[in-house]
Amino acid sequence: MAENKPKSVSAALAAATCSLLGTVPAAPVQAQEEPNWEFNTALLYYGEDNDRVQDLSFNLLARRLYVDDRSLTLGLTVDTLTGATPSGAIRQNVPQTFTRPSGSSAYTIPAGELPLDDTFKDTRAAFTVAWAQPLGRLWQTSVGFSGSREYDYTHLGLNGSLARDFNKRNTTVSAGLAIAHDIWDPVGGAPVPFAPMLDVGDTANKTGSETKDIIDAVIGVTQVISRKLLVQVNYSFSNSSGYLTDPYKILSLVDGATGDTIPRVPAPGAEGPSHEFRFENRPDDRTKHSLYGQAKYYMGGKVLDASYRYMTDDWEIDSHTVDLRLRWPLGERSYIEPHLRFYTQSEADFYTISLVDGVELPQFASADYRLGNFDAITAGLKYGWKTRSGNEMSIRAELYQQDGTIPANLLIGNQVGRETYPDLDAIIVQFSYHFSR
Amino acid sequence: MNRTRSGIMAIVALVVLGSGCSSMGVEPWERDILAKEEMQLTTDPVEAAIDDHIYFSKEASSGGRGFGGGGCGCN
Repeated sequence: MAENKPKSVSAALAAATCSLLGTVPAAPVQAQEEPNWEFNTALLYYGEDNDRVQDLSFNLLARRLYVDDRSLTLGLTVDTLTGATPSGAIRQNVPQTFTRPSGSSAYTIPAGELPLDDTFKDTRAAFTVAWAQPLGRLWQTSVGFSGSREYDYTHLGLNGSLARDFNKRNTTVSAGLAIAHDIWDPVGGAPVPFAPMLDVGDTANKTGSETKDIIDAVIGVTQVISRKLLVQVNYSFSNSSGYLTDPYKILSLVDGATGDTIPRVPAPGAEGPSHEFRFENRPDDRTKHSLYGQAKYYMGGKVLDASYRYMTDDWEIDSHTVDLRLRWPLGERSYIEPHLRFYTQSEADFYTISLVDGVELPQFASADYRLGNFDAITAGLKYGWKTRSGNEMSIRAELYQQDGTIPANLLIGNQVGRETYPDLDAIIVQFSYHFSR
Repeated sequence: MNRTRSGIMAIVALVVLGSGCSSMGVEPWERDILAKEEMQLTTDPVEAAIDDHIYFSKEASSGGRGFGGGGCGCN
């Protein structure tokens, strides 16, 4: 404590007087605006079990505050991803060989195992910039830009928002609009929809790059209910059009009676798929609607943060999400925050696990597990504390678990009992540091 | 058609909620608790963005709180 001792008696008296009067000593008037930067940084590890996706991510959000509540916010995220992800093909009682997306080599999955594509390695850098400023006494506006780049994907977006306070600032009505143009440049080219997977070196099933456009709109009301209760309700609309297919996902082409994948023989001297696989194909348009409600409730020092989201889209996916956090103070400087999240979704109308040989192909089909029927739960704990200099640190550890079911009517012959949804267990560990200068 | 109707109903719900709220709230000098950092709707914007990105990559839903995660060819 010795280092915090005031340097002189007069300074101590001035400080004591100010604290008694509840005022802050006036800062000298400056000719220029005095900048004030706030930094939010986080280091994240996300890791899935069974050598699936691992992500190490660095995140920075820097905000410069100006007079009159104007602010500039800059964001930077760098992700390093490795690991394997389910390709969409089903298990077989024999080993299966696949051509890699690049078309330059092949890999083999042992008998009985879920086919995972292990060529997944990427570095992603994302950048955001936003300018916010009040307009008059009751309006708040912001405009922003977002961009991201990874090896095979580029995102460019613009966004803007408008909010107005009513009713002694107890009610805020807000509206936001975001547009984005994304470009897929898949390794080896985007596959022709439903094209067969070909031998190594044969690229007749691939084309070039593809694009999609996204429009998001949000309108919402934030309402102060009482000194201790604040609620928000948002409606959001999102439309994506263009290439919405995942260029790396495939489906097994199976026998209509046994459900086993049709064997295939590569050309003489060539390396290639051991079975018949087809690239997936999704509709080129998707519209999502969601209704989101959040409440923050103060209970004698503890704060409950509860939210619920209902989402529905024209791919026939419906989902419900409940998120609960309780911030529990431990003394003056630290807190713990348990977190629970529940999620459930129904499958897309074109979700299937295989295509049947000799039958006319459906218009659209995907075996991507993320379009399937599953429930997910997240359970975690965060511990946060304030340093002596007033900066904040926190560490959180969470477990994320997906548990899915394949609808019984999608299983054919031997697939019954052999095929299961590729359940997922992942851990999330994050260290955050907030400081300003 | 069904979806257009649900969209309209959502807007009506927001308007009703908005107009019904004019009698609620606090006086400016009663904002001591609401002004606390832990009472803000988003207490940690970086953590919120990270979560949105994770769930956008692993689930078929996104957005709600704000704009959807997005901006990646996530596997």
